[in-house]
Amino acid sequence: MKIHKFIGRTLKYGTLLSTWGLIATVLLQVICRFSWVDTPSWTEEASRILFIYAMSFAAGLAMKSSYYVHLEMFYNRFNQRIKRLLDLLIPWVSLILFVTMAYFSVKLVLLGIPEKSPSIRINMGFVFISMLVLSSSICYYLWIEIRGNSKKPKA
Amino acid sequence: MIWILIIVFVVCLILRFPIAFALGIACLAYLLVKGIPLIIVPMKMYSGIDVFVLLSVPGFIIAGNLMNHGGLTEKIIKFCNHLLGHIRGGLSLVNIGASMLFAGISGTAISDTASMGSIMIPAMKKEGYDTGFSCAVTAASSTVGPIIPPSVPMIIAATLSGLSVGKLFLAGALPGLLLGFGLMFTAYFISKRRNYPKHPRSTIKQIVLSFFDTFWSLLMTFIILYGIIGGIFTPTEASIIAVFYAMFIGKFVYKKLNLKNIQVILLDSMKTSASLMVLVGFANLFGYILITEQIPQTISSEILGFTTNKYVVLLLINILLIIVGTFMETIAALLILFPILLKVALAVDVDPIHFAVIAVLNLIIGLTTPPVGVCLFVASSIGKTSIGEVSKAGFPFLLVSLIVLVLVTLFPSISLFLPNLFID
Repeated sequence: MKIHKFIGRTLKYGTLLSTWGLIATVLLQVICRFSWVDTPSWTEEASRILFIYAMSFAAGLAMKSSYYVHLEMFYNRFNQRIKRLLDLLIPWVSLILFVTMAYFSVKLVLLGIPEKSPSIRINMGFVFISMLVLSSSICYYLWIEIRGNSKKPKA
Repeated sequence: MIWILIIVFVVCLILRFPIAFALGIACLAYLLVKGIPLIIVPMKMYSGIDVFVLLSVPGFIIAGNLMNHGGLTEKIIKFCNHLLGHIRGGLSLVNIGASMLFAGISGTAISDTASMGSIMIPAMKKEGYDTGFSCAVTAASSTVGPIIPPSVPMIIAATLSGLSVGKLFLAGALPGLLLGFGLMFTAYFISKRRNYPKHPRSTIKQIVLSFFDTFWSLLMTFIILYGIIGGIFTPTEASIIAVFYAMFIGKFVYKKLNLKNIQVILLDSMKTSASLMVLVGFANLFGYILITEQIPQTISSEILGFTTNKYVVLLLINILLIIVGTFMETIAALLILFPILLKVALAVDVDPIHFAVIAVLNLIIGLTTPPVGVCLFVASSIGKTSIGEVSKAGFPFLLVSLIVLVLVTLFPSISLFLPNLFID
């Protein structure tokens, strides 16, 4: 339960911090352009990285709150038994996708370690960790959904 | 091999996988069968999101949500009521007029149906309008939103094609107004026949006062457009300026926002944006596979082998997009189909900006096309009536939308006049 809360809070504050950072960086870019100060060269890259991190933190929360759109048209015509089967199947298949993505995100992080970003000179491994955050947080909430489904009484 | 990609994607869609995940699973199946290293999955997800102009998507979503929570919807409705309420069927005109003004701020049709519908549908029912008609007007009017700038689908189209966001925003303005006024005329005609009520005429003072009450929020759309078109801001900067402006107005002018609800709005908006970006990321991988398999070229040569007549090609594309738009979310459909169809359109000399407007217009008309248009579902659930009743009442509005689509398709100047006038 403590871990569940910790993950939820980390994703929430990660999203908020990156979003505020993104807003501040873009505002700084605009303010500098209209003042006597030269616009720092790193603002565009920093805002892109903050955006990717904000999206990565929020992706898991979007999974938790069912923000991903799907097609209801055919599902509504299925009988209860098939619906129940699909409700069990979909998180499992989705989990395979995101576990695969998380595993290869680690490889991407390792590939990025020797590289530096062009203007901030930040380690690209750190930047690619965002993909690990995105995939593993979705994995986590898919796993929570799978556990919840297994506890539901059969219709 | 490409059939694996297509079949897995379609099966996953039918089984109600989230559209973004369906794309990812289809790509994964294809990559496994082809033996392509799977590291391409996170790589393409990253490169799909790492596009500067996409930063404007959460910006506009946050700004719209901040304005909405700041009480903007009620103020816009009040202003439109003072302006149009005295005409027969006034509330239906208010519904459409408010959607046209709100459109510039919300940018998405479904959020427009939900926020406008929750106020307008009960109000219209209370005044004696048929439930089906009230829901149909709300659903139809909300399709104006994604065309009138700032428009999230237009930003996505710009990202996919490299076109100027400013030009696309301007290109959508006249078709959006044409659609809005077309819907207003239809609503007035029906209201007159059914003798729906009208309100007493407002005084000039009431109109001016309610205009000033709405002025600050309407100014946001002007700042965004003027900033982008005038070359003062990039679309991303304009979206963040809009966020800052919406926070300032919500906190100090409308006094409805505080740090606590701003955080909630930010979080909610970022969740919406993240669900779109996961879609964008997997669509990038999907698009990469389609390109390596030369699918756009194949489809283009198949269609051009059948006909090279520009208008027949556009007719075929229109039919395809309306059908797809009926059951698929606008952004998802745009991400999957726009790059492929743009190639076909360019081959028959259709201007890419004109084509982007046609594509977005088709997909949003799909949102109100029976039997599965998403906006029809949202409106019918708010109005607590059957989708059949809303579909039946919405038929005249659908007909008008299709007429506007035909006009926009046949006369490129409707879309291209403003971009040519303001941007060199």
